[in-house]
Formats: sequence, C-alpha cells, structure tokens
Amino acid sequence: MSKIIAVHSYKGGTGKTLLSVNLAATFAKNGKKVAIFDLDFRAPSLFAILKTENSEYWFNDYLNNTVDIDKVLVDLSDKITGNGKFFAGLANPATEAIRDMSSKDRKWEMRALGRLLALRESLLTDQNFDYIFLDTSPGLQYSSINAIVAADFVVVATTGDRSDVDGTKRMLKELYSLFEKKTGLVLNKVLDPSATAKKSEMSNKVKMAYQVPMLGIIPCFCEILRAEGNLIFVQDKPDHPFTKILAEMARKIENNEVN
Amino acid sequence: MIKDQILTKRPLNILEKIEESLERLNDKIEVMIEIQKNGSDNHRSNATLPDASLDVMTLLSMPDHLRKTAMSICRCSRATAEEIAEQTKRARAVESAYLNQLVIMGYLKKERKGRKAYFYIDKETQG
Repeated sequence: MSKIIAVHSYKGGTGKTLLSVNLAATFAKNGKKVAIFDLDFRAPSLFAILKTENSEYWFNDYLNNTVDIDKVLVDLSDKITGNGKFFAGLANPATEAIRDMSSKDRKWEMRALGRLLALRESLLTDQNFDYIFLDTSPGLQYSSINAIVAADFVVVATTGDRSDVDGTKRMLKELYSLFEKKTGLVLNKVLDPSATAKKSEMSNKVKMAYQVPMLGIIPCFCEILRAEGNLIFVQDKPDHPFTKILAEMARKIENNEVN
Repeated sequence: MIKDQILTKRPLNILEKIEESLERLNDKIEVMIEIQKNGSDNHRSNATLPDASLDVMTLLSMPDHLRKTAMSICRCSRATAEEIAEQTKRARAVESAYLNQLVIMGYLKKERKGRKAYFYIDKETQG
C-alpha cells in the first residue's frame, strides 16, 4: 500500500502544492493522520498557504540532522473538520536558508535521502501516521529525486501545455521507471472537460500518450484562482466539484486502484 | 562423558571454521568474477575515488542491475546479501556479487561479524 506520496512535475505552476495540500487535507478529513512536507527549498510556499510562518524549526533543520522530526511538525488539525490529524513540516522561506540549501553537496544530499527514508519508521511505524505527502520542486533536482526515491507512489502533475508534455514524458520514462516507482498522472487545468463521455475519452487519450496510469483530470476552475491560495479548498468548499475530484483521487490511492 | 564432549565439540569448531573460510573464499571469488566480467579498469579508477557517494544522481547513472541492489541498501542502510536478496527477489549469490562490486566502487563498506558479512553506507567518512 502507498503510504509515502511524492507530488512532482516537470514544469513549475502545474499545481503540485495545490494538489498535495488538498489531497493531504482530503485524507485528514476522512479521519486519517497525515503529514505534509515542503521540499521546494528554492521557493517555499507551504507556509503561506497554511499560514504558519512562525515555525520554530523547519524541515531544513530535520534534513540537516539538527532536530528530530517532532520538533518540525506543526499541528494544523484544527484547520480540518473531523477527527483526522493534519501536520505540516515547512521549508524555511528566509533568503539565507534558500541560499544554504542550494549550496549543499552530493554527500549532504545522500544523507538527506537517509533522513527522508527514516520518516517511514519514525512517523509511519512509531507514530501511526497513515500518509506522508512530499511536495517537491519541479524538474530534475536533488531534493525532488530524493523525495521520489523515498516515496511509494508519485503523483505527477501536468498541464496540456506543450512545454510540459514532452518533459513529463521523458521524466516518466527516464526517472520514475528507473526507480521502479508507481506513478499516477494528474492532468490539471483542463479546459472544458464537461461531458462525461468526453472525459473518459480524454482520459484514454492521455493514458495512450503517456503510457502511465491516470489518477485524475482536474478542470480549470476560476474559483481556485480567485481563492488566491488563501484557503484549503477541500475544507472550505466541501461541495465544489474540485473537492469531489480530489475525494475520488484519495479513494483511488487508498484502495490501490490507480491503473 | 567429558571426553566425549570434547571430542564432539572440537570437530564441530573446526568444521565451522572451515565453513567460514570457504564463505570468505566464495566472496573473494565472486568479486573476481565480477571484475573480470565487467572489465577491471573501470572499477579500479572508481575505487580510488575517495568521495564516491551513493546519492540519487549516482543511483540514476548506474546500470539497472546495480541500481536495484544499491536502492535496497539505501532503504535498510545496513544489510547482509541475504537480506537484500529478500527485497530484490534475486539469488543471494547474485546480490553478494553486486554488493561486493559496490564495495569495490567505493560506494559501500563491508564488515564481517562472525560468519555474516554486513554491507553498509559509510555516512560518517563520506562527508
């Protein structure tokens, strides 16, 4: 079963953070114990969406081996309805921290992979977390590949944009498959997938083009843009179609039905 | 009675020692076979690299058969060939050969404890 889920994409702006926050929140709403980590150390954004800027310790510190994971986790369970638990480990947005993270060498990255792999025991086994979400930065770089290696399942976000399609295809062939990772493709910001018949037709077409299982198709919703990243969408808009699509994705992941 | 015990204990000890030596010999032969199979020059140059680290970019550039072994050892950080074989579903002797090859390339360290050989990533000296 997939317990550690990395959300990745070739290009930026494909909706990784939106997806990871809302997928994690969907699981938490369903009563699960969930942690989400920001691995986009070059452009941290989770703190802004979750509005938790005053974190005492950052996920950077955990990877630097200076603190335990418990010190990093911020309990945000009160932001979610129900009995689930929702924790976040944030990337430090300070310019100094971003500079520090971008100057790490291979050996540091190797140890960082070890720290990521250790989360399986510290969080899943010892603290009974149900899911860990790793929100990565786009493209081929250390922090993202570390997350992919540590994960059981990779959610690949893509848009129909030409600049994104070819790179995504290459990544599927030359990155995830080399690490033997299960993947699920999310086609985001799709224009007018209104009719149901059209939707399944599109799903098949995408499946053929990318040769990987589909996790879901998300239409372009103006409401999401309008929210300007100010809310956890699935929590604040429980009846919105986006929330329903995410619930279906979560169900597929939980039941291992991505194919 | 006591005499009997001594008599049975000694040959057993000797047999165990012989088995241990044979296993060591086997490991060495496996390494030699691997070196011969894949050409020794390549490995010798890699072996002299003092900072061979088993990071993800290195994993990506490895041949498929070695990557599988290397990823397993990343996951458990310290293991015997048998434990790795359980994960990869390949034969113990195969994993032993690949692990020894990774040792030669400088990515892993090997340590013998009694009759078992443990392979691990040396995170302390690597940085």
